[in-house]
Amino acid sequence: MTVTVEAARPVTRRSLDLPVQVALAAATVALVFFPLVPILVQAFSTRPLYDPVRAFTLSNFTRVLSSGAFWSVVGTTVAFAALTTVLAVTLGTVLAILIERTDLPARGLLNSLVILPFYVSPLVLAFAWAVIYGPQGYLTIWARQLIGHDPWNLYSIPGLAVVSMVYYVPYTYLYCTAALSLSDPQVEDAARIAGAGPLRAIRAVTLPLLRPAITYSALLTFVSALELLSIPLVLGTPAGIRVLASYLYILGIAGGRIDYGAIAAISVLTVAIVTALVWVQERLVSEERRFVTTGGRASRIRPMQLGSLRWLAFVFVMAYFTFAVLLPLSGIVAQSATAFLSPLINPLQVLTWENYRLILETEAYRRSIVNSLIIATLGGAIGILFMAFISLMSYRSEFPGRRALTYLALYPRAIPGIIVGIGFLWAFLLIPGLGAVRNTIWALMAAFIMRYIPLGFGAVSPAILRISPELDRAARVAGADWLGTTRRILLPLVRPALLSGYTLLVITFLKEYSSALFLFARGSEVIGTTMIELWRQGNSGPVAALASIQIVLTLIVLAASSALLRRR
Amino acid sequence: MGDLVIEGLVKHYGPVLAVDNVSLTVPAGKLVSLLGPSGCGKTTTLNCIAGLERPDAGVIRVAGTILTDASRRIFLPPERRRLGMVFQSYALWPHMTVFDNLAFGLRLQKVPRDEIHRRITEVLELVGLGGMERRYPYQLSGGQQQRVALARAVVSQPAVLLLDEPLSNLDAKVREQARFWLREFQQRLGITTVYVTHDQAEALAISDLVAVMSAGKVLQYGPPREIYERPATRFVADFIGATSFLDGTVSDRSDGLLRVRVGGEIELCVTHALARQPGEPVVLAVRAERITLAADGDTVNIVPGIKRSQVYLGSRYQSLVETPAGTLRVETAMELPDGKVRLKLPPEALVVLPPEEGS
Repeated sequence: MTVTVEAARPVTRRSLDLPVQVALAAATVALVFFPLVPILVQAFSTRPLYDPVRAFTLSNFTRVLSSGAFWSVVGTTVAFAALTTVLAVTLGTVLAILIERTDLPARGLLNSLVILPFYVSPLVLAFAWAVIYGPQGYLTIWARQLIGHDPWNLYSIPGLAVVSMVYYVPYTYLYCTAALSLSDPQVEDAARIAGAGPLRAIRAVTLPLLRPAITYSALLTFVSALELLSIPLVLGTPAGIRVLASYLYILGIAGGRIDYGAIAAISVLTVAIVTALVWVQERLVSEERRFVTTGGRASRIRPMQLGSLRWLAFVFVMAYFTFAVLLPLSGIVAQSATAFLSPLINPLQVLTWENYRLILETEAYRRSIVNSLIIATLGGAIGILFMAFISLMSYRSEFPGRRALTYLALYPRAIPGIIVGIGFLWAFLLIPGLGAVRNTIWALMAAFIMRYIPLGFGAVSPAILRISPELDRAARVAGADWLGTTRRILLPLVRPALLSGYTLLVITFLKEYSSALFLFARGSEVIGTTMIELWRQGNSGPVAALASIQIVLTLIVLAASSALLRRR
Repeated sequence: MGDLVIEGLVKHYGPVLAVDNVSLTVPAGKLVSLLGPSGCGKTTTLNCIAGLERPDAGVIRVAGTILTDASRRIFLPPERRRLGMVFQSYALWPHMTVFDNLAFGLRLQKVPRDEIHRRITEVLELVGLGGMERRYPYQLSGGQQQRVALARAVVSQPAVLLLDEPLSNLDAKVREQARFWLREFQQRLGITTVYVTHDQAEALAISDLVAVMSAGKVLQYGPPREIYERPATRFVADFIGATSFLDGTVSDRSDGLLRVRVGGEIELCVTHALARQPGEPVVLAVRAERITLAADGDTVNIVPGIKRSQVYLGSRYQSLVETPAGTLRVETAMELPDGKVRLKLPPEALVVLPPEEGS
């Protein structure tokens, strides 16, 4: 081989790296600040935003903070969120230890069953629980006939907390399972050898090791429950129970004279408090990384022997799933296909397609399904690529502002969905030229993407961090710029993570409603907003039909994704 | 084609000074090793050459083309430097075949298709992997992956080849063969090469020039023989080979010999460093294999001692001998007798070093 070695000479081709990176960073800044700025301005303004004659004021805050209604709502919200957190974290931890660490039968199946509510919209869960456990619920009537009075009251703070618990159990469960699979099971063996029984070993060794995961998921659940709208709205409103999110919703939708200043002030206060909580949460993670006992070497985990308790524990987990998830979801499907669901009537005699016909024949309802599908599939695709690029810039580029960008990308966690919706609505109304977008599904898509940047970022980042930096360095030395390296090396290597991140976004966008409530307009309805509209009109049959459609769509997405992932 | 020149290179990581004013010239077509323990700055220096790190100060140029000039804020990104690099982990892209791995850089250079095929076939032939084009990296052995990485680094005909511990992931046996092979390969291509390693035997075996680094500085830069036989500092002498050190004082200088008194009574003759003045404190370094058992008639440079321990290395014995001048490491073909021994330290085997400059 004759080698003609040329001297290195600068190539004059201009790289698009910096322009693209700047554009992406600018888009992130714009998306995150877009809804925040109008809320901040409104909170300190005397008159509504659309009024050109405004002045600076603190009166919005003094008015809100001196209102008894506001403080009672705050009290209810904290009580509800705290109770939800205690229930969900306790159950989630117990389930995680049982399924991850003991010789429970059918652990793989139980694992998927416990995670299932994660994929169901809390709105659907609320409707579903009402069908079974509400005052006119199937089991409630049945029990009433049996014992003569209502055994429970779903429309109460404990009732709301139990339903929310079902929705949040997967969070704690997933964090604790991850922590358990990372920690070395030999630490429990050591406790057993030292003379501790299984329960003692769990209390003395497993639980302390889980403490970081438990604290983290407790804060996550608490923050998320503080801003939860759906379950308190659907199950709390009939009993006059109001939390911050439903209070904001009623203030903004109630009609008549809307108090923009109060809405903005409450939003600012809420965002400030949640920001503080999220900050604490982040501090905890970075402080407690050191708790992980090993580097995750795949030592085969020998499950703890439960002995005779084994089947009792199995029955416990199955009973939880049946009564908390399976029964309500089957109930809502049954209700969608019957004219009237009650233990007093044989459902087969009242079978009907009427609810589905109404949904599919009414243009606005049908459109909401189509819109949801478009936003989920298209918005999810745009979203996951955008989020992957943000993550790549954060962790795999020399972009000067990459650290700030990481913080910014994770910040939307601190903005409750309903406030995202309010902010986007006001921003669209205020900024001239954007009026045309305001009534389209693009507005919703932007809000959804903004709200879930942290979700996609978190789904893709671990996969990106696992790739050896030498792989992209090799591409750079071989002559590829950052964009080329990203496109040809990094993105192909994280394709499985992109696909599962995409699935997550599709499902999340399908069930998203809170940020759409203020933002949607005629023509841009989505499944969640239509369900709430129908519920407000008292149409429980069509609500059930729409909920069932959403459940089926979610199952199809899950099945397709796992088939795709398995094929690779 | 020209020299690779590094001048005044400085790189900080926060408060840590990783590279401390390094200047080196790698002559065109030569193989230069950066040798040192981990954390000595050798990989950082290599990454600065590659453009993977941005130095705080210094100039790097190849054949007159400036790659980096910190004072003039010139910094060519890695993709525009036209270098070849082999990484410690090989960094073969797992989702691409051997062919695609090699073609990546060529396609970016807009090399015509036929030419790409021709060059890849040629270079794979050269590294002994002809016909492996369609394989994926995971289908190759470690040694084969290492050669693919090398092929990928040279296929675009770079001005400089950078190697970052390319043999460290190979088995001991394969590694020794790879040394010969790599040296032959580099000489056949005549490509200017910078080779980073912490393995002194490897560095001595394959380099034209070795730069021994410690704490971000180049302590000595020269041909392997010179590094081995005339280490400039105690660190270099200690890092390379099994070496003993004797503290002493110059006692006399005459007849082309320097006399150094060590351990009180013993006087040793040295054949170099004749500029030293009597009374000056010095350190004498001596390689374990240069020490022999003294014959009966020998009277010059004799050190008496007692054998303390001994290990068998396969072809040789290494013993620790306690002497009035300090403990000596001795490597001999024959077993040393137990108990009292008389050792000979040949004058030309002793290296005079300045006293304690901190290890």
